[in-house]
Amino acid sequence: MENSTEEYRIQSLDMDTQMLLKTALKDPSSVNLEKVSDILVDQSLKDQVFSKEAGRICYTIVQAEAKQNNGNVFRRSLLNRLQQEFKSREETRARSLQEWVCLVTFICNIFDYLKVNNMPMVALVHPVYDCLIRLSQPDALMNEEEVDCLVLQLHRIGEQLEKVNGPRMNEVFYLLRDGFLLQEGLTSMARLLLLEILEFRAGGWLLSGTAHKYYYSEIAD
Amino acid sequence: MGCMIKSQSRGEVGVLRVVATPETGSSGPSRWSHCRKRGVDGSLRANREEDAGREKGGHSDSRNASFTTPEGTGPVSRCGRKADWGSQVENDEMKRDVHRDMQRYRRRILGAEVTQRERKISSGSSGSCDSKEGEHIETDEAVLLRRQKQINYGKNTLAYDRYIKEVPKHIRQPGVHPKTPNKFRKYSRRSWDQQIKLWKVKLHAWDPPTEEGQDKVLDDIEELGIDDVMDIELDFPDFQNVPASLTTHSCSLEGEDDCSGTPVKIQKTETTVQPELA
Repeated sequence: MENSTEEYRIQSLDMDTQMLLKTALKDPSSVNLEKVSDILVDQSLKDQVFSKEAGRICYTIVQAEAKQNNGNVFRRSLLNRLQQEFKSREETRARSLQEWVCLVTFICNIFDYLKVNNMPMVALVHPVYDCLIRLSQPDALMNEEEVDCLVLQLHRIGEQLEKVNGPRMNEVFYLLRDGFLLQEGLTSMARLLLLEILEFRAGGWLLSGTAHKYYYSEIAD
Repeated sequence: MGCMIKSQSRGEVGVLRVVATPETGSSGPSRWSHCRKRGVDGSLRANREEDAGREKGGHSDSRNASFTTPEGTGPVSRCGRKADWGSQVENDEMKRDVHRDMQRYRRRILGAEVTQRERKISSGSSGSCDSKEGEHIETDEAVLLRRQKQINYGKNTLAYDRYIKEVPKHIRQPGVHPKTPNKFRKYSRRSWDQQIKLWKVKLHAWDPPTEEGQDKVLDDIEELGIDDVMDIELDFPDFQNVPASLTTHSCSLEGEDDCSGTPVKIQKTETTVQPELA
């Protein structure tokens, strides 16, 4: 058990919180799950590293609660809290790009991990797309942070998203093509990221061997 | 004068609910809410005192303000309120579960029918009553979901938990032991709702014992102050105490607690009204 909790990257949290989370994983009904979900969301909005993998610990708690007493208090409060944050995303973005990026990363991570009967949560599909489309807007493409976030999410969940809603993915990519071609003032890094994701999707969410060499061995150097 | 009171009382009270079920669309906690394993927000109930503190507005026993039951008379339109992601995901999950149940059920029924037909053929009978139940399955999704919700409410009780632990399936006797209504059979709405009610009433036999439950009815009546009835008793010079309206009030309190069931109207007449309070 100790080994696996390392995967959850909870080391950035204080010891008491870490204990609380560990207890939540083992014995969900013994803790205040609403509080746990708030803690996880709060931490995800602050800590980019955490937001990238927080979905995993959330998933485990959901499963643990379901198994223990068929409950879904945690899932419900997590989702509703997430919904609140999603609703106020524009204010968040205006206040802090970092927080906005963390929010998108976290929502996408939840979408990735929290499946229902192995199917993605339908309720999250449009919100995720809304976030990606926001990231594809001209003002967002000017910020490397946002472009980086965008391409990361597309790498991770693009294929799944396209399966559940193809037209909206097309919407995203129209914007990306336009951005790449027409947007003045994009940094070369931003253009590189965009070109890579365009090729990636064109290749069926897969980069050919040579393309991979082009994009990734350069970075390794 | 007697008539005046009668119409007033009817306007105030409505009907006296005799058979009680755990749900109520009104504001007070039901007599059996302590038997509910989980609040509507899904949280397990450790004990009632704990729950009372977490009021969500509208219900003192921590139920969501929009809490209603599928057969209750609560707010009719449900579209706007369930827009939160938590509920959406739960509903999607329920839909999928219902569809999966339906596949299983179909396979089971059709399988049984095939065996039945084969048996009839081999035994040489003419098979007049060829009940193709497979063709009479309830398939309307809205109906199935509503029924599933009603079943879930019944199963979400301590009584049900205790029942299934105590009485394994193979020793259950039809008629004696409660059986979950089959949501896939075609029934009228009325018939289905009645089956659910009866099923839940039967389940009450496995309610956890409680000190306060039985006393609550008496408490409700005792809580009545004389003040409550002062207004109405004006036109009753014949009566020493305040019986008629008192009965009315005790009825209305009962009405808040209990929900559906066979209604019994209390008719007030001028003559025989016994004071309920000692």
